[in-house]
Amino acid sequence: MAKVLMIHPDKCTGCRNCELACSFEHEGQFRPSAARVQAYTWEREGMSVPMMCQQCDDAACVTVCPTGAMHRSNTMANLVDWDAATCIRCKMCTIACPFGNARYDAASSSIFKCDTCQGAPECVTFCPSGALEFIDDEQHVRSRKKAYAAKFKDAFQEVS
Amino acid sequence: MIVKYFATIRTYTGENERRVDDPPATLGPLLETLAARYGTLFRRAVFAGDELNPEIIILVNGRNVLYSGRLEASLAAGDEVSIFPMVAGG
Amino acid sequence: MYGWTGTILRIDLTKGRVKRESTDMKTAHDYLGARGLGGKIIIDELDPKTDALSPDNKLIFAPGPFTGTFAPSAGRYEVITKGPLNNVIACSNSGGAFGPELKYAGYDALVIEGKAAKPTYLWISDDKVEIRDAAAIWGHDTPDTTDLVRAETDEEAKVACIGPAGEHLSLLANIMNEMHRAAGRTGVGAVMGAKNLKAIAVYGTGSVQVADPDRFRAAVMNARKLIQAHPVGGTGLKAYGTNVLVNILNQTGALPTRNFQDGYFPTADKIGGESLAAKQLVRPKGCFSCIISCGRVSKVDNPDYKGFGEGPEYETAWSFGADCGIDDLDAITKANFLCNEYGMDTISLGSTIACAMELFEMGVITAKDTDGVQLTFGNTAAMVEMVRKAGEGEGFGAKLAQGSYRLAESYGHPELSMTCKKQEMPAYDPRGVQGIGLNYATGNRGGCHVRGYTIAIEVLQNGAVMDPRVTEGKAGLDILFQNLTAALDSSGACLFSTFGIGGGELAEMLSALTGVEYSLEEFLKIGERIWNQERLWNLKQGYTTADDTLPDRLLHDPIKTGPAKGEVNHLDRMLPEYYSLRGWDDVGVPTKAKLKELALN
Repeated sequence: MAKVLMIHPDKCTGCRNCELACSFEHEGQFRPSAARVQAYTWEREGMSVPMMCQQCDDAACVTVCPTGAMHRSNTMANLVDWDAATCIRCKMCTIACPFGNARYDAASSSIFKCDTCQGAPECVTFCPSGALEFIDDEQHVRSRKKAYAAKFKDAFQEVS
Repeated sequence: MIVKYFATIRTYTGENERRVDDPPATLGPLLETLAARYGTLFRRAVFAGDELNPEIIILVNGRNVLYSGRLEASLAAGDEVSIFPMVAGG
Repeated sequence: MYGWTGTILRIDLTKGRVKRESTDMKTAHDYLGARGLGGKIIIDELDPKTDALSPDNKLIFAPGPFTGTFAPSAGRYEVITKGPLNNVIACSNSGGAFGPELKYAGYDALVIEGKAAKPTYLWISDDKVEIRDAAAIWGHDTPDTTDLVRAETDEEAKVACIGPAGEHLSLLANIMNEMHRAAGRTGVGAVMGAKNLKAIAVYGTGSVQVADPDRFRAAVMNARKLIQAHPVGGTGLKAYGTNVLVNILNQTGALPTRNFQDGYFPTADKIGGESLAAKQLVRPKGCFSCIISCGRVSKVDNPDYKGFGEGPEYETAWSFGADCGIDDLDAITKANFLCNEYGMDTISLGSTIACAMELFEMGVITAKDTDGVQLTFGNTAAMVEMVRKAGEGEGFGAKLAQGSYRLAESYGHPELSMTCKKQEMPAYDPRGVQGIGLNYATGNRGGCHVRGYTIAIEVLQNGAVMDPRVTEGKAGLDILFQNLTAALDSSGACLFSTFGIGGGELAEMLSALTGVEYSLEEFLKIGERIWNQERLWNLKQGYTTADDTLPDRLLHDPIKTGPAKGEVNHLDRMLPEYYSLRGWDDVGVPTKAKLKELALN
């Protein structure tokens, strides 16, 4: 039973505490442009969506990496990890990721990609709205699925 | 007497207001009667043990009961009682 | 450099010159930032006689040390300038994400001087600053302006801008950022318009540094816990927004109705937060670093008033609602959306329309004056039409756009303008709540609730309680709130964090962030210093003790109906003690001893 970082955009208020927590944890300062998670806001629609690495099982970044710096962690489940020492900063991973979740940061000469803070994600701790959850992969969609199931329940209760 | 409910209190009572004929003489027994009617969530909102919950705002004719005896605040038949949770500022 | 960035950006629009200078760290330590720092710059650099709409006025955008960090709900900034509405140091506070972006771009303050020869916007990207032509953007509403500017700069840039109201120099013009947040009051938007400055776009890739990361994180976690446990900061504001106050104030008998003719509005429930949540709320919204999420993303489906945006806040629901005798929430929300789009202060505009309604019902003005509109209390369509006209500066709207003081005076009835120091009072009737009346009367920027929100204690039971109907102890209460708020406003924190934390928690976070040790006493002293510096400026503007007052109506005409029927405000029982406790003489002038104590000249 491993955990996944689940996002609930319907709960996101666009406060960007996730970016601040991420930057603070990894960099010791507040530089949200360097955060591994980004919450984008669409002002006209009043909606915000947080985005971070999905830790793909069959990760494009791992496939293209020439040195194995991008690799599936052998110590943690559901984690694609990055090894600074073997990385040659070719940036192939940033090209390969279809979600744009791997980024090259020139200031620190590193690849920025969510590492779940090695299993204790700070963004989840700091999110005030429950828009981010670090949850068992057997349960991670349960609340959403059940919320919709409840609508069917209500509809059928009325007629039966 | 009219008792009016606001904000989350309405979700506990299922209504915005209730007429109470022959109200008790003081606030405590009135709240007891209402709590018996509306259930646990209402009870927990208005009471903290045997005391008035510090996070509830109760006005009798616009005056906060904190200045007229809290649960001992006296009530008359024509009074208007308003019950608010502490919810906001601004 | 911790907390602060150490750099101030100075832009001279007349000469088209950009200068970077170092933030004076002694000033930063003693005034923090935002309201305090900006106010000090105005006082040090501006001739008090400067015309607020002249090129000589300075327009300052300043975040605080907290801004850009994860101190909870602490991403605010202030716009500071000489306010054209009433000549005070206008310091208008806003949230959104603009303030933090200024910090990431590297600035403790943006000081804008002079006047551009033609419509202009600024593009600030880290240390690259461009003064650009805004001909294609001038005339657009604030949402369109934001999109147009981002298309030419960076789609993730944060934009502060004026709408048409600022362009036509309405004294009620505001500055909007992120389309829905406002630096609302005292006409700061008109100063920006007078400088031919349409917008400022900022993008920053820099950082805010922390002196003691472990201590800061611990202090922040503690503050977050307190706010989240608080019924208002933790759940109430997110569920209902500020608008839930409508019913509380009405049931207290202090909801100003029909231009303060009364204090009780029988159909208030139709325009309160419960109704908003049921009919219009799409989802809650939070500013940068906010854990409270009081913002309302809202929609109106009614085809007459169709719209989508954010709001209304309590003050807005009151000003276009009870104050105008209107109980149609759809219309009120539409008025709110229009104000955001045109860039206008909702409190002052609603109150000005209410004043006009009273003049109309008295027969002092007629349909001939109001472009054929029957401007009576309760006329919903007329109210919305007048908001639109004011935003356009068209017809009678041009008069409304200059505020109720000038409107009422021009028709020979200044007593019908519900203002203090020419700025409209907000949504709390001082006859029902004594202490807020003292705050309105002594407020440095005129009628204002946020600078000394005694309502928290007098009505909302936030941590302590005081009977709203008594005057005893109110002088001390007002001073405490005014001082604390001045320091809080200068730190970058949001006022609503005080639903949970106090000066102690703020001082602890500030110390850990900046590496400068602030005690609670020192934090409050900074607030007292800032309050006094604003007062000194006002004295130089010719304000005297005679201006520390309320409209006659509130001192002499009792509330007519509702729970506070028969009450008036007893300012005379509170003001002398206020002056005395402040260490001012009996005409409200800070004594030499007090100024020395605060290190003010």
